[in-house]
Amino acid sequence: MELTGSYLFEADQDTVWKLLMDPDAIAKAIPGVKELIPVEGEEMTWRAAAKVGFAALSGHYAGVIQMSEVEAPTQYRLTVNGEGQQSVIGGTALIKLTFNPEKNETLVHWDAHANISGKLASLGQRLIGAGANVMSKQFFHELAKQLPTR
Amino acid sequence: MAAAEKIIGSRIKRREDPRLITGEAKYLEDIQLPGLLHAAILRSPHAHAKIKSIDTSKAAKHPGVIAVYTGKDFADVNPMPCAWQAGKVKNNVNTPRVLEIDRVTFTGAGVAVVVAEDRYMAQDALELIHVDYEVLPAVVDAEKATKAGAPQLHENAPNNIALEWTCGTQDTTDRALKEADVVVKQRMINQRLIPTPMETRGCIAQYQAATEEWTVWMTSQAPHVMRLLMTAFVFGVPETKMRVISPQIGGGFGAKIFLYPEYCLMAALSRKIGRPVKWMETRSENYIATTHGRDHITEIEVGAKRDGTITALKVNTYANLGGVLSTIAPGIPTTLYGRMLSGTYRIPNIFCHVYGVYTNTGMVDAYRGAGRPEATYVIERAVDLVAHELGLDPVAVRRKNFIPPEAFPYDPVILNGLKYDSGQYAKALDLALKMLGYENFRKEQAEARKQGRYLGVGFSSYVEICGVAPSAWIGLPGEGWGAGLWESANVRVHLTGKVVVTTGSQSHGQGHETSVAQVVAGELGISVDDVIVQHSDTLGTPFGYGTYGSRSTAVGTVAVYNSLQKIKEKAKLLGAHMLEAAPEDVVFEDGKVFVKGSPDQSKTIQEIAGAAALAYSLPPGMEPFLDNTSYYDPPNCTFPFGTHICVVEVDKETGEVKIKRYIAIDDVGKVINPMIVEGQVHGGIVQGVAQALWEGAVYDDNGQLLTGSLMDYAIPKADFFPTFETDRTETPTPVNPLGVKGAGETGTIASTPAVVNAIVDALAPFGVKHIDMPVTPPKVWRILQGNGG
Repeated sequence: MELTGSYLFEADQDTVWKLLMDPDAIAKAIPGVKELIPVEGEEMTWRAAAKVGFAALSGHYAGVIQMSEVEAPTQYRLTVNGEGQQSVIGGTALIKLTFNPEKNETLVHWDAHANISGKLASLGQRLIGAGANVMSKQFFHELAKQLPTR
Repeated sequence: MAAAEKIIGSRIKRREDPRLITGEAKYLEDIQLPGLLHAAILRSPHAHAKIKSIDTSKAAKHPGVIAVYTGKDFADVNPMPCAWQAGKVKNNVNTPRVLEIDRVTFTGAGVAVVVAEDRYMAQDALELIHVDYEVLPAVVDAEKATKAGAPQLHENAPNNIALEWTCGTQDTTDRALKEADVVVKQRMINQRLIPTPMETRGCIAQYQAATEEWTVWMTSQAPHVMRLLMTAFVFGVPETKMRVISPQIGGGFGAKIFLYPEYCLMAALSRKIGRPVKWMETRSENYIATTHGRDHITEIEVGAKRDGTITALKVNTYANLGGVLSTIAPGIPTTLYGRMLSGTYRIPNIFCHVYGVYTNTGMVDAYRGAGRPEATYVIERAVDLVAHELGLDPVAVRRKNFIPPEAFPYDPVILNGLKYDSGQYAKALDLALKMLGYENFRKEQAEARKQGRYLGVGFSSYVEICGVAPSAWIGLPGEGWGAGLWESANVRVHLTGKVVVTTGSQSHGQGHETSVAQVVAGELGISVDDVIVQHSDTLGTPFGYGTYGSRSTAVGTVAVYNSLQKIKEKAKLLGAHMLEAAPEDVVFEDGKVFVKGSPDQSKTIQEIAGAAALAYSLPPGMEPFLDNTSYYDPPNCTFPFGTHICVVEVDKETGEVKIKRYIAIDDVGKVINPMIVEGQVHGGIVQGVAQALWEGAVYDDNGQLLTGSLMDYAIPKADFFPTFETDRTETPTPVNPLGVKGAGETGTIASTPAVVNAIVDALAPFGVKHIDMPVTPPKVWRILQGNGG
């Protein structure tokens, strides 16, 4: 499944970049996640457990989040492998940042590809696109709340 | 006219309905036992994977959990048997195990089970099991699965071919195609369907260690067969060690014929744990783990003379059988498909080649019609393609090729020795055309086209095969079960004159308790209310093969009829004794025995039954009681037929197809209860039309079922349909003394091509000659926009 989207931060690129690279800020922003625990011996890799409460996607999930192809402050790749609800979820997103100096805004754009197997694939397929959009918006919205106040 | 003949053929209300309507009927879900435990099954999220390891430790500690098991714990339990090994499947049969041990070949295969005090605890604990899979590439398309480079599912099945089967003669068919004036080729898809009975599957097993005996309640259309397969084949114990009960069943459509791993798993669990264990399938489990139907990819070549005479039909089919074989899967796209490809027509040369193929999808087996809908779709589309190619009226081409009434019994050569029993194909067509008003319709259609409205009419003059039973035919090695399919009955007339009938067939919506009682009441001259029909419990019913293939009336009820004749003979002997008359002087009429010509001096069946039971004054040598058991093995199958006509209007703006009229003329032989037959026909039409227009199971390329719930899988509602216009012709079969043929599947068999033919007719101005099912609005809309026919 292909998912694309974008979110506009009212902040400069470096501020947004720092926010996106901060595991604590990310953990706070992902709905249902308490913390990201670094995986020993792996770079930029964290273990996470989440409780999702969105229609057919509701339930407990556990997985590993990894950042790669990091080119500060313009792009990075986020890879997620998780399972829960008798389903296996694998996804990778290429995330790009573009700065608009006139308005002091940073656009974060993502192109993601997700593979879903099991119960979620057969029950939630139609909801997953919509659900992913809602949850991405929520994620960035929560992240934006953590921007240093101007 | 005797009362006997009045009750048989009368429209009495179904006796089972009051308990169904008031909610008093007891389904599997209603059964409660002391100490009952509940099982939940962990199913593979991957369509094709190796199981590297399973960690159940966390789940085992979950509150309320009694035990957690994986496939390794049941390595001593045999895999499910595949009972119908048509084609060359001797060496490449792969069937499910109670839980898979090291490999899964479809999404939904069971890999672990949790048994807990209640079902919610069991479900919660499932989440705590961790399975380490090595995911393998998947293939879901039956044709692609046979090509070089496709993922291989089973070591013993090169190119994923489970079976290769042919019927007819290739060389004469090829020659006839070469010599034909016209040859039409067409590729057609008969898409995968999900049976969706109202009630999902379930099972409760209770084991008694002291006697080593099981009682198993299950949602089965064939309890005796389940008992035999579970004991003798899966557990290796005598069948007398198990009692199988089918409680009230909420529909099956074929999907409840088979021996599923979950039933054997419950039996194994109850033996291990020593408490009764229950499993009730959820709807989403039902969609991934219960069998599907159809799923054929077919290429046809049909040859004809310019006048429309069909001279040859060549059919090549890839039948998708899923990741492993279900109980009778190989028999459906072979015997019940290829052998019916002649339809209602004289076709001198037919050749059919079938590959049954493993793919990373759910198991495919019999679904209402089972093989015959697929065959009827091929031949009824083929006739229209010939008509289209030659610019002839499809009705005229049907008439030209019909097997005439005087040709019966007719041997279509490909039926492996069987012959069509009786038929008046043109008569049914004529009646249907009269109801339609064919000439007027064509005028109306032409007028509508001028106004930019697109009407179409489609015909389906079908024949099908019912009473699938003759042991000498169905038992042939390489063709059928390797066993007979006779049916049994016991009739007992109790002291009070009340009758108990037991039958080895099973009722899960067919109304046997009514129709069988009508035959008993009619033959014995008693009230229907004085007859009880018992079935669905291996304790107290003689062995029978169950209900499918429209066989319960044509085979099971004939066994009842035969017992009734023997009871009547004994009643005559005893009645004559009571009347002090010679046995040869008495007759049995309207429930009474009397000396021919003197009905005033008579003994009723009740009086005779009483005398037989009290037994203090019997003729010398006569045993007490009126009781008889029959085993009936018919000499032939029966072949119902008819013509269905569908009238559609295609909405030019939206591509939506609206059914304007639906006419069904069915000839199912003699009818015992017209209301029950009409109900069967109505339901069948709905299912067949739904395949043509809406239904379809869709897997993605990774083998994930995308139509995994009722949100995504289209099931029709009553308001999708007009009032059906139904009628019958009645051509009794000479095969059995009741003259009955079978009516359970005609609707699904006939209706699908009638609808597609109508749509193609409506879209003729757009140059359409074929359109694959389901004919959804987007598909039609694209054609109307001039892109993609």
